[in-house]
Amino acid sequence: MAATPATDTTGTGLMEGVTDHINREAVESLAADEPQWLRDRRLEAWSLYERTPMPTTRLEEWRYTNLSRKLKLDRLSLLPWEERSYSPESAPRRLKDAMDQDRDASGHLIELDGTVASVDLGEEFAAKGVVLTSLRKAVHSHPELLEELLATEALPAGLGKFQALNAALWTDGVLLYVPKGVRLERPIRVSRWSSEPGRAVFSRTLIVAEGASQVSFVDECLSEDFEEQMLASTAVEVFARDGAQVQFVSLQRMGTGTFHLSQQRTLAGRDSTLDTLNVGLGGTTARVDLNARLQGPGANSDMLGLYFGDGDQHFDFNTSQDHVAPNAKSDLLYKGALDGRAQSVFRGVIKVHRGAQQTDAYQTNRNLLLSDRARADSLPNLEIEADDVRCSHGATVGQLDQNHLFYLMSRGIPRELAERLVVMGFLGEVLSRLPLGGVVEKITGIIDEKLHG
Amino acid sequence: MPQNEVVEGLDLDRYKYHFITEDEPVFRSGRGLNEKVVREISAQKDEPEWMLEFRLKALKIYNAKPMPTWGGDLSNLESVLDQIYFYVRPQDKMERSWDDVPPNIKETFEKLGIPEAEQKVLAGVGAQYESEMVYHSLKEEWEKKGVIFDSIEDGLKNHPELFREHFGTVIPSADNKFSAMNSAVWSGGSFVYIPPGVELDTPLQAYFRVNQEQMGQFERTLIIADEGSKAHYIEGCTAPVYSTESFHSGVIEIVVKPGAHFRYTTIQNWSNNMYNLVTQRALVHENATMEWLDGNLGSKLTMKYPSCYLLGEGAHGSVLSIAYSGDGQHQDTGGKVVHAAPNTTSQIVSKSISKGTGRSTYRGLCQVHEGSVNSKSNVECDALLINDTSRTDTYPYIEIDEKKSNIGHEATVSKVGDEQLFYLMSRGMNEEEAMALIVRGFIEPIAKLLPLEYAVELNRLIELEMEGSVG
Repeated sequence: MAATPATDTTGTGLMEGVTDHINREAVESLAADEPQWLRDRRLEAWSLYERTPMPTTRLEEWRYTNLSRKLKLDRLSLLPWEERSYSPESAPRRLKDAMDQDRDASGHLIELDGTVASVDLGEEFAAKGVVLTSLRKAVHSHPELLEELLATEALPAGLGKFQALNAALWTDGVLLYVPKGVRLERPIRVSRWSSEPGRAVFSRTLIVAEGASQVSFVDECLSEDFEEQMLASTAVEVFARDGAQVQFVSLQRMGTGTFHLSQQRTLAGRDSTLDTLNVGLGGTTARVDLNARLQGPGANSDMLGLYFGDGDQHFDFNTSQDHVAPNAKSDLLYKGALDGRAQSVFRGVIKVHRGAQQTDAYQTNRNLLLSDRARADSLPNLEIEADDVRCSHGATVGQLDQNHLFYLMSRGIPRELAERLVVMGFLGEVLSRLPLGGVVEKITGIIDEKLHG
Repeated sequence: MPQNEVVEGLDLDRYKYHFITEDEPVFRSGRGLNEKVVREISAQKDEPEWMLEFRLKALKIYNAKPMPTWGGDLSNLESVLDQIYFYVRPQDKMERSWDDVPPNIKETFEKLGIPEAEQKVLAGVGAQYESEMVYHSLKEEWEKKGVIFDSIEDGLKNHPELFREHFGTVIPSADNKFSAMNSAVWSGGSFVYIPPGVELDTPLQAYFRVNQEQMGQFERTLIIADEGSKAHYIEGCTAPVYSTESFHSGVIEIVVKPGAHFRYTTIQNWSNNMYNLVTQRALVHENATMEWLDGNLGSKLTMKYPSCYLLGEGAHGSVLSIAYSGDGQHQDTGGKVVHAAPNTTSQIVSKSISKGTGRSTYRGLCQVHEGSVNSKSNVECDALLINDTSRTDTYPYIEIDEKKSNIGHEATVSKVGDEQLFYLMSRGMNEEEAMALIVRGFIEPIAKLLPLEYAVELNRLIELEMEGSVG
């Protein structure tokens, strides 16, 4: 069968996004030597992808991000999986710098161009049953776990066009498994690097923290600057079982020319804590879909976000606080500053389902516009179907507080530095809520660099 | 929990005006909407050619536009519309004095408590019984001042130039499907002109009324507040309950010229089978102020978002909205403010109460265009939930394209607190009184802005609905 380019002749959206490279043959060749369940799962996801129209700005969730202008799927080719290894000598400067700033970790995984090139997990953790491995290898080493949890409960292909695409085309990724009661004091770090323009890379992350375990996970992605577009798609599934404590941090520092698409779903069990931090600094277009489902009574999710845009950057955060169980709490704080012609979109919804009584859910989005041409759109939504709840949300857009500036300048601080200090103070509130070793310093440093222009 | 039983028993929905008056319409258009109906309406009204063309063009737009897929559930609407009479006229002539109003219509008004309010406090009344003004009075002193308060039809006849200059400019037919529908078949409504510098102390009032079963009402109102004028317009709706679904789609256009101050108040209490889809918009010029006061108590589904387009420097717009949704009701309301000039300010305050299976939705927009420096906007939404089957949503759209602006939005959702009830009951109130008091306190910030008789009526309604809430 010859590959056909994406054309929507029927007007129904059927086959939209099917191209010379992104097509059923590609899925079939990926699945060729995989176990039956995975092959079926990929092909089913692909069928869903074919049948789902490309999202347009007519859809609420894509209202402010016009994919037909921002994503050129037909110009992208897939990056086939191949064996890669990491050597510090030949590593790209940016990646090396980023890794040098990292503090000690319980484990470290490096992914190069969609292939896991290095895994390093402390022996004492491996001995306790902690698993940190390439997802591709896990298909053979942990088939039962993957068959049960990969693209099923958290991010099934049916959730949307791009969830389906990733489920069909992922080449590698991360599996982290923390057994019952095991606590990792220092974070697990993941460093990802993309070097090839004109490519689409699909990666997945599956994190399972069993009952009363504790782990934090810092995922940092970087790339070259590209003239041609590059698409990095990542799907993240996090399970915090009863009483587990999990922190998930995504540090998005892609180069120019990249379209970064991150789909995340966190499932918080009874009395668990499942916190997330999404930091958006790089890329030309970056979209995050985060759905936090509080499915056990007493679950708690802090959802933090921080973004700083300049130039032509476009950030789009689409969050959802999904309260299914009673007595759970979620608290979201997303703050961003925008310079140049940068644009940010925050669309968040607190959804309290019937029966989720005694819910506490809060949602705050604050934006600073630093230039005349920057723009911020904010849609903090509430959908409440239980009556015994405490919910509130707030959103603001404004400029630098002139009083703050005046105060600092009256103390002899030059305007430029005073402005930087106020911006840092504004964004710092987010970081102070998740004081993870190394992460705060790293982000502060990057923003400071950006502010220096 | 004892007060849960109280809450279950609350009867906020008892329909106050459940009665039907027999009458015989003089002319009634066929069911459904088509070109023939539109031509008939225009011919019946003896309209100039341009208006017929305006209507026909709007009909084309209406047919071309898809049904909205957002907001409330409109899935039954198409079949409802097929059954609707798009035009009914109860009488041939406009009445000039109260004595000439037919007795059966008077009876309807009396049940609504209109006459007392009308004769004593109110200055001018345009009561819309079915599709046209049947009664229209205006204080002499206003006539002397040059104030025009006419039916929309008379506005077109008697002030053709002023009418044509503004009609359809605030809300173009193509704005949305229902503004297109209204533009095609509008009938009834008010035409108001306040000359420069004229200030009116007493509000202008129009009472709208739908009576004929399955009759759509397409009121159209055009208001021009000229430079430096000040006035307040009140529109109230109430309709008897019918078993089949009914439909109302109004278009309200307001031009607030430089330095003018205009307030538009709606208290909507349609029967619970009514689809109420209304477009209300004001263009607010330099240093002018527009205030929407919007109360939605009745209807099956209301979709209405009064908006202020702040076009001149220093313009101010505000939307105060209160919604009550009882069993089976959905109030999808809110407000829009568009800042398109420097130093403009706006405020939206929304309060909603959901009871039983009722659903209240706040849907709003705050948009600041580039160049609208020093714009300020503040949006506050509070929702009160009475039962665990009630639902509330908040969908604020905030679109900011100007650095030098200050925009804030806040919303809270709560239920009537046990502590609040306990406190009041420990002071000797029974549960029912305590609940009524808390709900009244919740809506008080908006109720206090209403003219006295409306505030009294609103409070009485709340009390009435709290009655029988215990045992």
